[in-house]
Amino acid sequence: MIAIAHFVAISFYIGAAAVAATPFARPVGAPVRGVITLLAAGVVTHAIALVLFARSISAVPMTGLGPALSFAGFVLAATLLLVELLAQEVSLTLVAAPLAALPTTFANIIGLIPGREPPGVRGAWLFAHIALSFVGIAAFATAAAAGTMYLIERRELKSRRFGAIFRFFPPLATLDRVNHVAAIAGWLGLTLGVVLAGAYSIAYREMNLPQLMWGTGAWVAVSGIAVGRVLGGWQARRAAVYSSITFAAVLLLYVAIRVAGPAAGKFL
Amino acid sequence: MAIVVAGISHQGAALAVREKVAYRPAELVPTLSALRTESGLREGVLLSTCNRTELYAVEGDTDVAPGIWQTLSSRLGEEASAYGYVRRDRDAISHLFHVASGLDSMVLGEAQIHGQVRDAWAACRSESGAVLNRLFQTSLLVAGRVRSETAIGRGAASVSSAALQLARQIFGSLAGRRAMVLGAGEMAELALECLVNEGVRAAIVANRTYERAQALAARHGALAMHYDECWASLHEVDVLLCSTSAPRPVVTLERLQTAVSGRRDRPLCILDIAMPRDVDPAVGALDNVFLYDLDDLRAVVTTNVERRRSELPTAEDLIAREVERYWEWFTGLSAVPVLTHFRGEMEHLREREVATALRHLDHLTPADRAVVEQLSHSLMNKFLHGPTVRLRAAAANGRGLGIVDAVRYLFGLDDSSPAESSSDRDHHHDLT
Repeated sequence: MIAIAHFVAISFYIGAAAVAATPFARPVGAPVRGVITLLAAGVVTHAIALVLFARSISAVPMTGLGPALSFAGFVLAATLLLVELLAQEVSLTLVAAPLAALPTTFANIIGLIPGREPPGVRGAWLFAHIALSFVGIAAFATAAAAGTMYLIERRELKSRRFGAIFRFFPPLATLDRVNHVAAIAGWLGLTLGVVLAGAYSIAYREMNLPQLMWGTGAWVAVSGIAVGRVLGGWQARRAAVYSSITFAAVLLLYVAIRVAGPAAGKFL
Repeated sequence: MAIVVAGISHQGAALAVREKVAYRPAELVPTLSALRTESGLREGVLLSTCNRTELYAVEGDTDVAPGIWQTLSSRLGEEASAYGYVRRDRDAISHLFHVASGLDSMVLGEAQIHGQVRDAWAACRSESGAVLNRLFQTSLLVAGRVRSETAIGRGAASVSSAALQLARQIFGSLAGRRAMVLGAGEMAELALECLVNEGVRAAIVANRTYERAQALAARHGALAMHYDECWASLHEVDVLLCSTSAPRPVVTLERLQTAVSGRRDRPLCILDIAMPRDVDPAVGALDNVFLYDLDDLRAVVTTNVERRRSELPTAEDLIAREVERYWEWFTGLSAVPVLTHFRGEMEHLREREVATALRHLDHLTPADRAVVEQLSHSLMNKFLHGPTVRLRAAAANGRGLGIVDAVRYLFGLDDSSPAESSSDRDHHHDLT
């Protein structure tokens, strides 16, 4: 049942991306309401799957690789839904919905096996750290998706190609604004997540070095964009390039630590 | 009863002809009232725009087209029908749906005509009835569907709108942006007007002759500058529009490099609509500079127009389906007065025959007489039920007009039926 709900949610995410891509097949605007409905259906189904899973293990479904990936996919999809609802513009779904479907699919493939979760205040502390970190990563991913779209569209505009991307991507200024807001949100989420993680490590004398390395790397990356945007006056291409490259690097770092790290099994 | 449209449009008449037959809003209703008196027009809506003057009418037994031509000819001063067209029934319905959807416009898919059709209908409501009210209402719905379900109205279809489309694709809204216009000629003024209408916060007009720049700037609330001064302000603007008559580029790579260095990462959109070009093409290679010349703008327009054309079959299919739906309703409407008349005649016959029979049966008690009355009612209803149902069905599926004529002929129903009389129009008003 939980696996089926996951697959249904994945189908909704892919469906939303496919519907958002209709302008590339036919020169009419993407049906905003349809895309948002599909995304919302995916998020609701995904939430039901996570609630069912949490009930089955009697714990918050965040620890363990499978549950963590599923939760990451859920947070990313929910963030995307929020952004698209506010903007009433669905081209970001083209990049971000598959990005949400990907970890959810991996979670289902490797299996939803829960990790060990400490009880009481310690458990709540851990839960808060993981949840805030995921929110931060989801916002960072949104900034990267907007940045990537910015670079694609900029290339089209500079090379004077007036095809589907020119017609149906949002204006560069909109993508730049999404990148800005998402970078700040990502920095806030990850900062709180990392602070809680550090305090947790000190309080309980528990240190997961690979996790700390990855978390710190992600925080440095997103802080770089946030500081650059707010204090350095970064915008447009520079911010788009930096957010796209650093997010890709953070993902690669995750894969590298996961595959080759000394404590691969313990790491999310 | 038939739906007719007669008129003159850009398809067959030059602007000079169209100008003469154009009507002001205040003239619409008096013109229709006069036509009602003179030509037997039952309902009418007069649509008059800069590209067309068309009169949509519901006619009775007399042809209204000659009256319409006479009216238009009196304004034109020559025979108006030589420039125009008359379309009837399905063709007239299809024509209005095409017009409202922008498929019959000079610029394919233009949106303005939708509002003009709506306004014309609203202005002529006192002269329209059930048939035209439903026709115009449907035409506006069809036009809305054509716009939302096809890309017929998408993308800029003129050079100036293409320039704005490009600027919007970079900045989103132009409201609050700064713009600079180089040149003070006709094209520069048109462009400046477009930019001001888009809500640019501050506009600068720079020209070699300062007085011309000042005059143009004063007309549009902009700031005038001389060429030599304007380069210092270039780093502040978001949109630079060039339309001078200089023989060689005035915006050089060196000037732009200096300006861009003070802009940090802010994009600059340069629209070069001058011929020969005002901007050195090398400028386009600068980071965050988006340079477009006339060829690029024309490419945008051509791509958009071709895309609009490619959507025509989808729009035509949609319109054809809606024309059939409206036609079914309209032909169904034609059966109503005949049915009313037919049943009225039968009822009259029944009453007369029952009265004759009862005169010979005066020994019957009141209860027996009621039974005879009931029997006659029941028989008549049973006899008429099949034909009534079939006539309604035939009218609804589009075969109505022929069958209605057959019923009229078979039962000897003349044309002065109550529903066809003068009260018919009021009855139609009630149907809306």
